[in-house]
Amino acid sequence: MENYTLTANNLKKLAEHLLTRELPWNVISVSEDGLHYKIVTKADQVILDSKAAPTKSSFKEFLLPKSDPLFYYKQNQNEVELSDPKFTDKKTVIFGAKPCDAASLPVLEKVFNWDYRDVFFNNRVANTFVIGLGCGYSDEYCFCNSVGLSPDSEKGSDIFLTPQVDGSYHAKIVTQKGKDFIAAFKEYFESAGSADVPQKEKAAQTREFDYKNIKNWLDNNFANNFWDTAGELCMGCAQCAFVCPTCHCFDIVDENCGLNCGRRAKNWDSCQFSLFTKHTSGHNPRDNQNKRYRQRIMHKFKYYNDKFEEILCTGCGRCSRGCEAGIDIAGILEEIDHLPG
Amino acid sequence: MNDLIELSKNLLASGKVAIILGYTEDKITKRIKPVIIRKPEDSTKLVFNHYAVNNLAVYLKNLKKVTQGKIGIVAKGCDIRAITALIQENQIARDDVFIIGANCNSVVLNYSDKWSPETSQSKCRACQLRQPQMYDAIIGELEDITFPPSEKLAFIQKFETMSAEERWDFWEDELSKCIKCYACRQVCPLCYCEQCVAEKTMPGWIDSSATTKGNFAWNLIRAFHQSGRCIGCNECERACPADIPLSLLNVKMGMIAGAKFNYQHGMSIDAPTLIGNFNTDDKEDFIL
Repeated sequence: MENYTLTANNLKKLAEHLLTRELPWNVISVSEDGLHYKIVTKADQVILDSKAAPTKSSFKEFLLPKSDPLFYYKQNQNEVELSDPKFTDKKTVIFGAKPCDAASLPVLEKVFNWDYRDVFFNNRVANTFVIGLGCGYSDEYCFCNSVGLSPDSEKGSDIFLTPQVDGSYHAKIVTQKGKDFIAAFKEYFESAGSADVPQKEKAAQTREFDYKNIKNWLDNNFANNFWDTAGELCMGCAQCAFVCPTCHCFDIVDENCGLNCGRRAKNWDSCQFSLFTKHTSGHNPRDNQNKRYRQRIMHKFKYYNDKFEEILCTGCGRCSRGCEAGIDIAGILEEIDHLPG
Repeated sequence: MNDLIELSKNLLASGKVAIILGYTEDKITKRIKPVIIRKPEDSTKLVFNHYAVNNLAVYLKNLKKVTQGKIGIVAKGCDIRAITALIQENQIARDDVFIIGANCNSVVLNYSDKWSPETSQSKCRACQLRQPQMYDAIIGELEDITFPPSEKLAFIQKFETMSAEERWDFWEDELSKCIKCYACRQVCPLCYCEQCVAEKTMPGWIDSSATTKGNFAWNLIRAFHQSGRCIGCNECERACPADIPLSLLNVKMGMIAGAKFNYQHGMSIDAPTLIGNFNTDDKEDFIL
């Protein structure tokens, strides 16, 4: 598809335009402190920094909120009145999505459109435009190269930006949605021919493993004694799942808002909690943290792969960077990669 | 460091302890992290320095269930307060642990920080327990360090002058960031309930939704459960992925317990606990 140039000045004008339209957009960018993605209110809060470290949390909360209402109920005497949450048509644009964040979207779309089409997730995805940004950052926790991605992977982006020496961005259309976006805001994008512009700089990564080899090992080693101590230092805080761009497990709860009303909501949950698998009988099939840690690795690198031919990991390294017990997922995967058959 | 490695080797080789719970440096990421040593020869992996941040007491209750024999634990003064509190609260016995006390020259708040008196944790700056109060063996040398004053205590003093509305706004703002991951509970050595009140479902006392109501319910109940019990290790605040200053609540509750009842938790294994003990001369002036 065609290529365009987006200058820094036009980027600001584009953001300004989106924020001040008659029907303003949600504009999401990395926050000034670089810690989170957030909804911005001013055009100059849109920050594109390819060399920045990944944020602490991914942008999944904008598609899969921490607490997502499914319906509301109200009780009048013997009658119960149900109402749906309001869907918004408000469009959202995510500026400067890291390739390791954007790549999570096509992975998540599979599970939310498998035996049931999740209208809440799909509705948000349909209204969200992802403008990815090539990544020039790398630290000892990064391993996107080992999970089939790269710092310039376009997976999940609708438009992919590559920083240029002059401070402008080379914009490549990746999807039909991206094409529609540029067509709608063409005054800000200058045509740049069709040549691919190479990534300005691609930081080297030190971690290396073969996820296909790991899948083979996992296929045959559910009962391997490797797992007996795999989670012994894990405290079960599930920070790893909450900051992960691909972890998507949820719990469904009913919560009241007073005597006669309430709502049913979908809340983030994690396989690292003991309550996650606790049966009503009191029995818990995953009764210790070693088994729960095995589930984390198995789901990401085997079960999801078996079912959807994708792995639930984009190599962002957030789980390891934030782990209070210093558990480094890349280290565990490298170890598995070197285990015999 | 050599004394720690030699000590660990001897303890494991002689069978005095079954395992050593300590700190090691990750080969690749270079981060100091918890480790369990089982073989005497692996003792060379042990380190202790300004980056030995974790309070390892959090592992004791679960490790005790799966360990035959004593657990050797490398512990700073604040960590030993947590061990003492666990003994006071009958969660472990004094004989379950061999405490390798570490003379502590303060630890950093973030792993990525380079240590200096200025990057040391607030809890370290006014610490009275840099030389541990209870141990079976001691390692390391105390250095003479001049610390800047604790920012946390200064903030609490400022906070006390604020109006109720201002304080409410402050906490509403802070707690709105909570994502209900319960990392604060999981890293806390004294949050050891087999079933947490947040996990009760019949009835569900605390909304699991990360909404203002659910967030206030959880964080305030945790603060109440910790009042007079928190030993101030600051692990909850450090673990919080939403950067909520959780320890402010606990430190303040601890200050009140100290002022009203002249009590500090985790200072002596023989002391009756504040909540578990009634004195006829207890002050009642806080009852409305």
